[in-house]
Amino acid sequence: MQAKGIVGRRAGTLKAKRRESGLGWFFCSPYLLYTLILFLLPLIWAVWLATMDWNLISADKTFVGIGNFTNLFSDKGMLNAFLNAFKYLFLIVVFSSVFGITIALLVDKVPSRIQGITSVLFFVPYLTSGVATSVVVKYFFAYNSFFNTFLREKLNLNIGWFTNDTAAFWVIVIIIVWKLSGYYALFYLASIKNIPIEVKEAARLDGASWWTNLTRITLPMILPTINTVVALATGLSFRIYTEPYLLTAGSPGTTTWLVEIYHITFTKFKSGYGTAMSLLFAVQMFLVLRLINSGMNKLMEKFGY
Amino acid sequence: MGVKRRERLSVAIITAITLVMLFIALFPLFYMMIQSFAPGTEVNRRLIPSTLTLANYAYLLDSAGSNPLKWVRSLLNSFIVCVPTGLASVFIGVTMGYALTKLKNFRGKKLIIDSLLFQMFFPTIMLLVPKYMILRGLANSYPGMILPFSVSVWAIFMYNNFYRTLPDEVFEAAKVDGAGHWRSIWNIALPSTQAVTVIVFLTVFMNRWNELMWDMVISPNVNFQTLNVLITTNINVMRDLQGPLYAASCVLIMPIILLFLCCSRYFKEGINFMLK
Repeated sequence: MQAKGIVGRRAGTLKAKRRESGLGWFFCSPYLLYTLILFLLPLIWAVWLATMDWNLISADKTFVGIGNFTNLFSDKGMLNAFLNAFKYLFLIVVFSSVFGITIALLVDKVPSRIQGITSVLFFVPYLTSGVATSVVVKYFFAYNSFFNTFLREKLNLNIGWFTNDTAAFWVIVIIIVWKLSGYYALFYLASIKNIPIEVKEAARLDGASWWTNLTRITLPMILPTINTVVALATGLSFRIYTEPYLLTAGSPGTTTWLVEIYHITFTKFKSGYGTAMSLLFAVQMFLVLRLINSGMNKLMEKFGY
Repeated sequence: MGVKRRERLSVAIITAITLVMLFIALFPLFYMMIQSFAPGTEVNRRLIPSTLTLANYAYLLDSAGSNPLKWVRSLLNSFIVCVPTGLASVFIGVTMGYALTKLKNFRGKKLIIDSLLFQMFFPTIMLLVPKYMILRGLANSYPGMILPFSVSVWAIFMYNNFYRTLPDEVFEAAKVDGAGHWRSIWNIALPSTQAVTVIVFLTVFMNRWNELMWDMVISPNVNFQTLNVLITTNINVMRDLQGPLYAASCVLIMPIILLFLCCSRYFKEGINFMLK
């Protein structure tokens, strides 16, 4: 009698467990469907497409094997994108971290009444579409804008902001850094606020100078956040697209992977080649991320994290 | 007394520096706004326009031309595309986060979490062309712009991490009281994740709103273009109509800024949480 009861209950819980599993899969079904149709399927397709010469429309596709990849290495646009990626990455990561930390340190010392609103206002550039900033920048730096006229007539400076590749590159870097710094400052500010009060107090009693405070206490204490932000900024710097596309249409000195891939695939209609390019891009991104990550981890270890 | 005065002075100096930096940071946006009210001949010719006018905005509302109201329609398109995307990613995040953390007997959850992690760090740009091939049938339609963005791996992760911090006892107690899973989600999970929900919705909404490449590829038809794309396709065409372009840019950034400013009180909690 009793044994039967236990068996019955067990069967009951088994059934309940099954039902819970079923419910779990049901709740995950939109994600699973998405993964299947818009991740796994395209992934297989991409590998296959990278070996093809195909213009997106016609019925005949030609198998070219690794031809697309060998062509890539003599492609000027791809080489520019590859090199520019490092330049963008370095400048954007360094400057957005420096400005982010500076803003956070400043806002941290501002009277608490206006602290919330200032930190939020610094974050507003992050919300603006790259299209809107590109409109402003494009015409602010246009040949006959009052700014350029002023430079020409008063300072005798004649700069073609978007025809001069170096100038255009820096304009784009500044736009991205401007956009990211306030956002990252929010992370740094939260992190600075989380430094235990005892630590700050002890440093103050020891009479630590402003600089010692920063380099010996604040920066080491927020190192995990620096790590997070560097990873975020790295990812973002690889995805630059809107600004070079709109401002220079991807000139050699400013072009990025995304601009080149878009250009090859959707204006030149070389879909196989474009996909091969994006595979190579993924490899660069993966390797650089790993490299930066291991470097940051070493630094973290040094400080005892 | 001297120490206190010095401290007060340093706070004043820091505040002044901060405000100057804030002004510099927001200057491009002030500039955009001022120029959008400048008369046509003065846009970008003077820092401060001699008079202010609404002509640039009126141009956007103008029903003349080959495609009347295209600017208004593009703004509507932006909303039509972004609101469902945001809602869907919240819904999927809430239900999936619940399933992955509170359904203790859910077999296969480890596999799903691993797949999430894998996708999160995967460079999805690789999939652009095949994705386009798959969704080409939805070209020039709203679903073509909504579907690929409505599952946000990041959003699912946020909810997954947040639900893990919620004590299981609350959900078990609700179960004892006879609440089903949907009721638990609606009555307990959703209200306790307010900050995460606000941040997830706004972030997905903003990213969708500012999306450019996919929309240009999937919706070449002007009737389905979002405001972001319409400005892009006109940036060179309207070289001599900079005023309306500035006005359109203001209209483009305003909804996002207002939304975020209204919800800024949730940020602190959200950022703190994202750092964990």
